[in-house]
Amino acid sequence: MSQREYHIVVLGSVGGVGKSCLTAQFVQNVWIESYDPTIEDSYRKLMEVDGRQVVLEILDTAGTEQFTAMRELYMKSGQGFLLVFSITSMSSLHELAELRDQIIRIKDDPRVPLVLVGNKSDLEEDRAVSRARAFAVSQGWGSPYYETSARRRANVDEVFKDLCRQIIRRDVELSRATDSDPREGRRRRDTQDRNRRRRSNRSREHRCVIL
Amino acid sequence: MAAAKLQAPSRASTSSASSFTPVSRQNTMSSHDGSRSMRASKRYSVTALYLSMSAKEKDLEIEDDLARAQKALRELKARISSQSKKNFVLEKDVRYLDSRIALLIQNRMALEEQNEVASHLDEAAELQEGFFPNDEKTQKYGNLLFLLQSEPRHIAHLCRLVTLAEIDSLLQTVMFTIYGNQYESREEHLLLTMFQSVLTYQFDNTPDYSSLLRANTPVSRMMTTYTRRGPGQSYLKQVLAERINSLIELKDLDLEINPLKVYEKMVSEIEESQGSLPPNMPKGVTAEQAAENEKVQAIIAPRLTMLMEIANSFLSTIIAGLDETPYGIRWICKQIRSLSKRKYPDASDHTVCTLIGGFFFLRFINPAIVTPRSYMLIDGTPADNPKRTLTYIAKMLQNLANKPSYAKEPYMVKLQPFIQQNKERINRFMLDLCEVQDFYESLEMDNYVALSKKDLELSITLNEVYATHELLERHAAELAKDESSHLSVLLHELGSAPAQLPRKENRVINLPLFSKWETPLDDLTAALDITQEEVYFMEAKSTFVVIMRSLPANTPLTRRPLRLDRIAEAAATTRNDSVMVKKGIRSIELLSQLQELGVIDKSDGFALLRDEIEQELVHLGSMKDKVVEESRKLDEVYRTIRDHNSYLINQLETYKSYLHNVRGQSEGKTRKQQKHQVLGPYKFTHQQLEKEGVIQKSNVPENRRANIYFNFTSPLPGTFVISLHYKGRSGRNRGLLELDLKLDDLLEMQKDNQEELDLEYVLFNVSKVLVLLNKRFTRKKGW
Repeated sequence: MSQREYHIVVLGSVGGVGKSCLTAQFVQNVWIESYDPTIEDSYRKLMEVDGRQVVLEILDTAGTEQFTAMRELYMKSGQGFLLVFSITSMSSLHELAELRDQIIRIKDDPRVPLVLVGNKSDLEEDRAVSRARAFAVSQGWGSPYYETSARRRANVDEVFKDLCRQIIRRDVELSRATDSDPREGRRRRDTQDRNRRRRSNRSREHRCVIL
Repeated sequence: MAAAKLQAPSRASTSSASSFTPVSRQNTMSSHDGSRSMRASKRYSVTALYLSMSAKEKDLEIEDDLARAQKALRELKARISSQSKKNFVLEKDVRYLDSRIALLIQNRMALEEQNEVASHLDEAAELQEGFFPNDEKTQKYGNLLFLLQSEPRHIAHLCRLVTLAEIDSLLQTVMFTIYGNQYESREEHLLLTMFQSVLTYQFDNTPDYSSLLRANTPVSRMMTTYTRRGPGQSYLKQVLAERINSLIELKDLDLEINPLKVYEKMVSEIEESQGSLPPNMPKGVTAEQAAENEKVQAIIAPRLTMLMEIANSFLSTIIAGLDETPYGIRWICKQIRSLSKRKYPDASDHTVCTLIGGFFFLRFINPAIVTPRSYMLIDGTPADNPKRTLTYIAKMLQNLANKPSYAKEPYMVKLQPFIQQNKERINRFMLDLCEVQDFYESLEMDNYVALSKKDLELSITLNEVYATHELLERHAAELAKDESSHLSVLLHELGSAPAQLPRKENRVINLPLFSKWETPLDDLTAALDITQEEVYFMEAKSTFVVIMRSLPANTPLTRRPLRLDRIAEAAATTRNDSVMVKKGIRSIELLSQLQELGVIDKSDGFALLRDEIEQELVHLGSMKDKVVEESRKLDEVYRTIRDHNSYLINQLETYKSYLHNVRGQSEGKTRKQQKHQVLGPYKFTHQQLEKEGVIQKSNVPENRRANIYFNFTSPLPGTFVISLHYKGRSGRNRGLLELDLKLDDLLEMQKDNQEELDLEYVLFNVSKVLVLLNKRFTRKKGW
């Protein structure tokens, strides 16, 4: 059996919180020092989670708000999301709520796999977001909260691993739900039904028409 | 105003000791001509001052081609400004509804929320004109808005205090109302001054270099909106649209260079054609394995060359467009340069360029390349291949602008030659971008002019006024610390801010602006530090220019060298033109006054004055072509934003109908179902639909198309039947093909960017079908 492939999207609504640094540390074990805003980068990484080999497709996205038109597409393609802010900026946390709403709306799933990440934990002296505050936010979302330092490579793997576990769990839940519990899978099927209906509505009286 | 534009004051900034050569300004109202002598700088500005002061009354006076062209240009600019504002408001509505409609389609919206959305929609109509409930308020708000407009530091300060949540209403008021005349020098300059003050604050308060200009703040949002106003939009269209459009036509051009993606595509193609995979081609390889694969390398090599060629062509166009780059955007680049030099005195050009690139490329050029549709550069959504190519181009340009020491994606290293070959070029370009003059001197003058104007007005809505007042009040502790400051005084007089009006009661008003603290115009000459003789000299020059423009060409009088005394004489004795006579008499007076002051001398034919007048007239000659050319460009911009406007309106209409329909259905359960009339059928020929773009692609042979027609029927609101008919086929009522359509399906397809509706022989374009249905089947309530 081939390995399972999971699509992870790294999002943040502010530039410079360290999305790319976090991703590069995770994938390539390097620390990027330069001023290098991202437009869209993709990576692949093999990882072992609970004894299972998985392939992670990671999409690192632009924090610059001028690129928001691309977000919706990213959200559609992703299965799990890292929402990254910097603990040195309160507004970078505030802005994430809107992103999360958008994800839930697009995935049509309030329990979509998601991790809240407070990066730059090495800059303790500049901290503007207390641990408790961020934790409360994550609790409200029903998602875990991690503080990371991409610079020191602290908690980096853990974040991705947690997200991966969530994706696997959600995957199992959903496939079970569609089999047994009609309520869980209902919406998905609704859409499928509609698609089917759209196709079947086409009544073809004359199967073979020569124009 | 026409006359105000003809003088091009050379603003070789005397105040700011700039060492670089003056560069001309484009896309702003008064195109400063840097080739003019520095000597005349102050004089020219005074000319402009005099001309603009009396511009309004003189408007109808000169009726030559130039004046007419300028008038047309001015009107066009005003239309663009007001249309931009309308679009901005509509876009907000559509964005709001986009998300709500998605929920509705998924049947997940509670009834009361449906009602809320519906009321939002009903209100999205054009606002009515009105006026303030009372005169006292009109006056006080007029004072307040004048202060806010002419002293941008208050808004700048407010921008730092507001949260992102508060920014939306402020943004609209600031960008489209207070400084809404996108082509008016004073408003533009004031707006830029505000940016400067906020940028300075950001540089002073950002601890580390890597976070500079990265945060999304109220100001970054404002700067984005600024880059998307008229001048920025024309620039993008002019410089990028053609390149992007020719690229997206190449739907099959796959330039993917990520070895993994290339490998996977290759493998799946092989699997599909051969049914199985050869043993040396496993699935799920690592990036390194894929990159080492020889076949993958062979596929990628020519793509690299091609990508670099395309990126190069984009870069060349952008660099060649230096002179087309809007003044304000260049000026912001300049501020970034000087602020980073100030903060990091030892910073290399490279470092400075990186920051300029963080604005110019990251926030202006590249978003338009990556998502050209949202910038109105293309009509449809690009296909996957061109979309990916555009993303690559943007990434390459951004890499070039920032030249990171480390490539995040290893395969991008292969594009290094592009960086190597162009890094000098792009640094030069970004430094050249900064070479624009400052405007402080002219701004000072414009502000004086504004003080003297009696008819300064602002078209603003009541809710905008109240929201601004409310924001000021909320942050008054910070903004108006000093109780004797003008702002404090005004806020105190106004009292507390009124609540927002329901949208139905909101009105557009014309608010007369004036300063509570009059600065008498007599002080003007003193403030501008000019002498009486300079004032006479300027007035004489402008008067002669006006006379010359009114004279028929090719008469002895217009022959060079100009005989100023004869011209004055001729004007003073013109028949049936009292204005001209007045001008003539005034110019005779001025000539003698200037002679008495010893500025000019009759013996050399008033050479000093004459030469400047002649120079001015030469300049005017080329001016008309420039004005016509600018009008042509702006015409295109105006058309684009109007198209966008009709798109937005149509979208709103569709949502409206859909919502009414849904609500009608749920009401129907409780009430007796109203009987609905069947609408249609409406008949359309193949040719018609093709012309309107409803048919996107047709597989019907050319010679049969004339015999094909379609019937559109709406048996129930929100339900449509499209049938395809062939002429003369046994007169049957039913078509060869029938397609049942539900409005929600169409909307859902549109949401998912599915643009094609398959009708076997023809492909319909979903958006165009919606437009058509909208036009044909609008029922009073729902479809």
